[in-house]
Amino acid sequence: MVKRLRGRPHRQLPLHDTWGVFFTLGVVLLNFPFLGIFNKPAVISGFPLLFIYLFLGWVLSIVIIFLFSISAGVKQTEKHKP
Amino acid sequence: MKSGLVQAASISLLYTLLIFLIAWYAHYRKESGRSIVNNPSIYTLSLAVYCTSWTFFGSVGKAATTGIDFLFIYLGPSLTAFSWFFVLRRIVRISKENNITSIADFISLRYGKSLWLGALVTGFAVLGLTPYIALQIKAVATSFQLISGISTSSATIAGSTYQDHFSIGLILTLILSVFSVIFGARRLDSSERHEGLIAAVALESVVKMISLVAVGILVTYIMNDGFGDTFLRFKETNPADFARLFTIGSSPSDENAIHPFTMLFMSMGAIMLLPRQFHVMVTENCNENHIYKAMWCFPLYLFLINLFVMPIALYGIQTTGSTVNSDFYILTIPLLTGHRPIAMLAYLGGLSAAAGMVMVESVTISTMLLNYIFMPVIVRFTPQPWLPHLLINLKRFGIFLTIFLGYFYYLIAGNAFSLVNLGMFSFSAVIQFLPATLGGLYWKRGNRIGAFTGIVLGLTTWLYAMFLPTFTKFGWLQDKILTNGPFNISLLKPTSLFGLSGLDPWSHCLFWSMFLNIGGYVICSLLLGQDEQERSQARKFLGVFETERRQRHHTETTRLSKPITIAQFTSLMAKFIGEHEAQNAISGYIGGRVVGKTEYISENELPGIKLFAEKTLAGSVGAAAAGAIVDSFLSDMGSRMELVYDIFSTVRASLDQSREALYVRLKASEIINRTLDIQIILDDLLELLLKEFKLDLALVVLHNNEKNLSIGSFLDSTGQNIAEQNWIEENRYIYDLVLATGESFIVNDTAANRADKTGTSKAPAAASHAHIPIIREGAASLGVVSVYSYSIPGLFTKEFAGLLESLAGQLAQAVTISREIEAKERERTQKEQALLQNARIKRDMEIAQQIQLSLLPGAPPHLFGIELGGRCISAAHVGGDYYDFFLRDEQTVDLFIADVSGHSVGAALIMAEVRTLLRPHINSAHNACTILKQLNNQLYDDLTRAELFITIFYAKYNSATGRLSYANAGHNRPLVCREGLDCCIELDAEGLIIGVRPSVLFEERSLELVRGDIVLFYTDGLIEAINHEGELFGVERVCRQLQATRHLPAESIIDVLYSMVSEYTGQKNFQDDISMVVLKIL
Repeated sequence: MVKRLRGRPHRQLPLHDTWGVFFTLGVVLLNFPFLGIFNKPAVISGFPLLFIYLFLGWVLSIVIIFLFSISAGVKQTEKHKP
Repeated sequence: MKSGLVQAASISLLYTLLIFLIAWYAHYRKESGRSIVNNPSIYTLSLAVYCTSWTFFGSVGKAATTGIDFLFIYLGPSLTAFSWFFVLRRIVRISKENNITSIADFISLRYGKSLWLGALVTGFAVLGLTPYIALQIKAVATSFQLISGISTSSATIAGSTYQDHFSIGLILTLILSVFSVIFGARRLDSSERHEGLIAAVALESVVKMISLVAVGILVTYIMNDGFGDTFLRFKETNPADFARLFTIGSSPSDENAIHPFTMLFMSMGAIMLLPRQFHVMVTENCNENHIYKAMWCFPLYLFLINLFVMPIALYGIQTTGSTVNSDFYILTIPLLTGHRPIAMLAYLGGLSAAAGMVMVESVTISTMLLNYIFMPVIVRFTPQPWLPHLLINLKRFGIFLTIFLGYFYYLIAGNAFSLVNLGMFSFSAVIQFLPATLGGLYWKRGNRIGAFTGIVLGLTTWLYAMFLPTFTKFGWLQDKILTNGPFNISLLKPTSLFGLSGLDPWSHCLFWSMFLNIGGYVICSLLLGQDEQERSQARKFLGVFETERRQRHHTETTRLSKPITIAQFTSLMAKFIGEHEAQNAISGYIGGRVVGKTEYISENELPGIKLFAEKTLAGSVGAAAAGAIVDSFLSDMGSRMELVYDIFSTVRASLDQSREALYVRLKASEIINRTLDIQIILDDLLELLLKEFKLDLALVVLHNNEKNLSIGSFLDSTGQNIAEQNWIEENRYIYDLVLATGESFIVNDTAANRADKTGTSKAPAAASHAHIPIIREGAASLGVVSVYSYSIPGLFTKEFAGLLESLAGQLAQAVTISREIEAKERERTQKEQALLQNARIKRDMEIAQQIQLSLLPGAPPHLFGIELGGRCISAAHVGGDYYDFFLRDEQTVDLFIADVSGHSVGAALIMAEVRTLLRPHINSAHNACTILKQLNNQLYDDLTRAELFITIFYAKYNSATGRLSYANAGHNRPLVCREGLDCCIELDAEGLIIGVRPSVLFEERSLELVRGDIVLFYTDGLIEAINHEGELFGVERVCRQLQATRHLPAESIIDVLYSMVSEYTGQKNFQDDISMVVLKIL
C-alpha cells in the first residue's frame, strides 16, 4: 500500500505549493467563522459534533501529511541519486 | 500515609534510576559510534517534550473547566507540522551550517551576530519560561503529595503546608538539576548532541503517553462502556455542562476562557520558538530526513495523548462533583476508584512529562545564558588556561539557576494560578520571537534594529499587559491600576490597552504585542539599512537552499589584512574549548592536506579558517560571542577583516560572470583576433588591463626557446620606463617560480606578506601584485603577465585572478600561433637561400667546367705520319683528369695524361696547376723523366697540403725516328696495339706517384713504334668502370676493342670506347672521370 502510494501524489502536485495550501486550509478550518458550523451542542450517535469534527479532521490531516511526507522523502532520495 | 510516602518515593527513585540508565546507555552507544538516538522515531518522541505536565494534568483541568477548546493547544502544533517542510528544514539546514545552538543564537546570528539581540532574547526567554518551569515543579510536587497520601483528596491540596511544598519541590528541583547537568553540561561543545538527554526524553514521552492512555482506557472502557457511553452518561447527569464543554465561547465570562484563535496561534508559534523545542527539533536533529517522519508522527502522538482527555475530564466532574483541582483528575480518578497501580503509572507519567521539560529547557536556557549573558563579559578579559573549566561550570550554574528560578517562582506564585495559565503565560512570551525568526528566514531586508525594536516592543507589551496584572494576585499591585488604569488613565489599562476591551487577557496581550512587535520590526527594517555583516548573514540564511553551483561561485568579500598561522588559531580555540577538542577540530578541518602548523595560511584559505574557528567556538560560546572572540583575537594579532576591493561588485549577485569580466574578455579576444602581430596584441592587452582594472603597472615577460627572458611589452600608468635587464634580474625568482610551476603567484599585500621578498625598484611601492603564467593546457609556459597595483591591497581576489589566468590563456594561444608563423617563415627563407646557393654553386661549377674544358687542348696537333685524338669526360662538372699535347718541333710531340686523385674542385685546381707548370717545359729540351721529376718537386708541397696526389704518364714521340720515349709516375700503363699481336703491349716505367715523396727518380724508357701501331693513353676510369654484376671493364676488353677498331680514325676509336663503357656500365654518367688519348701511327 505504502509502496503503491509512494511517488503518486507528488507526480501530480508540486510539493511546495501543496504544503502551503494544506497549511492555509488548516488555519481556515480551525477558525471562526468556519468553526461556527460545528460549534453546536448537537450529538451524532452519542458523540458531540465538535468533538467529531476536530478529531476526525485531525486524523485526516495526519493521513494527508503522512502521504505527502512519503512522497517528499521519495523526492529527496531521487534528488540524491546521481 | 507513611507507607504511601515510602512507596511513592521509592518508585520515583527507581524510575529516575531507570531513566538514568537509559540515558547512560544511549550516551555509551553514541561514544562507541552506534547511536540509538539517530532515528526518526526517537526524534519524534523527543519533540513530544512539548507535552509537559501541563498537557498531562492541565489539559484535563482545562477540558473540565472550559471544555474542548484545550485541543487548540495541540491542533496548532499539528498544523504547524505542515510548514515543517519549508520552515523547519530551512532552520535545521542553517543551524547545522552555522553550528547554531539555540533560538537566541539563531536570531542573533541572522541579524549580524548581534550580542545585544542574543542577550535580549535570552533575558526574555528566562523571564517567560520561569513560570513554565514553576508549573512543572508545582505539578510534580502536587502529584507526589496526592500519590503518597500526604493529601488524600483533591479538596485538601490547596491547603497543604508550605513545608511540604518546600521539601518535595526542593528535592525534585535538585534531582532535576543534577540530572540536567550530567547529560546536558558534561562537556562544553554544545553543538555535540546530547544523546543521553534525548534518550531520556524519548523514554519519558513513551511513559507519559502510556500512562495517560491507561487512565483513559480505565475511564472509558472499564468505568464506562466506550466513548459514546461516557458522553451519554455525562449528558444525562449534566446536560448544561455537556453543551458548554462541547462548544466554544459559550462561557465568555470565565476568566480562563481563551479565544481559540489565540490558542491556535500561540501554540503554533510555541512549537517552533520555545527554546526547548528549538533545541530538540534543530540542535539535536541528527538527520534532516527525520523531519519527514516527524511531520506526521508528532501530530499522531499529540492526537493519541489527547484522545482520552475529554472522557477523563467528564468522568472526573462526575466522580468528584466539582471542577476544583480538576488539574489532577488523572491521579484522583484512579485513586478514588481504587486503581492504585494505574494511579502510580499516571504519577510516573506526570513526573516524566515534567522532568523531560525541565531538563531540556534548563540545558537550553543555560546555553543561552552562557552565550549571551556570561560570554560577553568573559570575552573582555584575557583568556586564561582555566577558561574551559570556568565556562563549563558557568553552564552548570546556568542550569541550576534556571531550575531554581522556576522553583522560587513556584514557591511565590505556585498556588495563585492554574497549570494552563502558567503555560499560556510562557507561550505568549515566546511568540514574540516569531516576527524576527520568520522575517529572518524569508525577508531579506529584515535588519537588526528592526528585530531589536520588535522584540523590545513585544516584551514591553507583554510585561505590561500580561506580567503586571499578575502582581495584583500577590497584592504587589493595587487592583485600582487594573480597573482604572495607571494614574486613572483608562486608555492605559493593562487589560484593555488603548480602549481595546472585550477580549480575554491572552488575546488582548497577543494582539497588542504582535501588532507593536511586527510593526516595529517592519518599519525599522524598511526605514533603516543593514550593515555589511547583516547583509552577508541575510544572504546566508535566505540562500541556504540555493543550488550548489551558486554557492561554489560565492566569493568572499572580505579578507584578513595580516596572515595568521594555524597554530595561532588552534591555541585560540584551545583557550575556550580545551586543548584536546581544539586539536581534534583543527585536524578535522585540515583533513588530509599537508599544512604546516606554523605555516602562514594562504590568502584564499584565511577567510575559510576564520569561519571555521568561529563556527567551532559558536558551538561552545554562541555565534555572536564567537565572532567577537575571533575578531578581537585578530585585532590583537594586528590583523583585521577588511573589505576586498571588489572589481566585480555591480552584478555579481545575479550572474556568474560580472558584466565587467565579460566585457574585458570580449575586448581581449577582439584584440587577439584583430592581428597576428604579437607586439600589437601585447601592447593593446596591457592597455586594456590598466584601463579596466585601475592597475598601475603591467608587463609581459616572454621567454624564448633558449630560455632567455625578455620584456615583451610594458605599460606604466605614470609613463615611466624600466631598465629591462635589471628588472628581469631583480624579479627573476618570481618568473622562474611561475614558469616552473605554471601557477599564478599572487601577493595581495606586500606589506604583510613575508613570502614576498621582492626587491624591485617598483615593487616596494606596489600594494599588491600578481604574476600569471602565459600557458596553454598541457604546454610549457611561454612567459608571464605581471600586474601591479600601487595603492590597493587585496586586489587580486580568486575571481580576478581567474579572469587574468583566462586572459593569459588566450594570450598564450596568440603567442603560440605567432611563434609558429615565425618559424614557418624562417624555414621558407632558409630553403630559398639554400636553393639559391645551390644554383650559384651549380653555375660556378658550370663555369669551372667550361674553364676546365678550355684548358684541355682544343684540337690535337697535326704531325706528319701520326694521328692524334684525345678526350676527357668528367664524372662531375669538373674533374681531375688532364691530358695535353705539346708540339715541340715538326717531328716531335709530347703527350701527357694525368689523373689527380678524386674528381673534386680541388682536383681540378691541381690539374690547372699541373697544366701551368707543364707549359714552361714545352720549350725545354728535357726528357720525360726530368720533366716528371721537376713536376714532382714543384707540386709536392701543394699536393701534400691538399692531401692529393697525381699519376702522370709523360711520352715524347719523334716521328722521324718513330721512337716513343716515356716516363710514368704511377699512371695506368698505356696500351700499344700492334698489328699481328694478339695482345697489347703495356708501356711501363719505374716511377712513384707524384706528391708522395719530395724527390723521386723516374725511369725513362722508349719503344719504337711501327706503322699501324695504336697507342692508347687512358685514365683509370676506363678500366675500372663497373657493370651491374660488379665486374670491371678491364684492360683485356680495352685491348680487344683496340684490335677491333684499329682501322678507324683516332677520334672514332675514342668514340667507340666511350660508347662501349657507357653500354657496359648501363649508365649515362660515368662513376669516374675517363680520359683517353689515342696515338695512331699512320
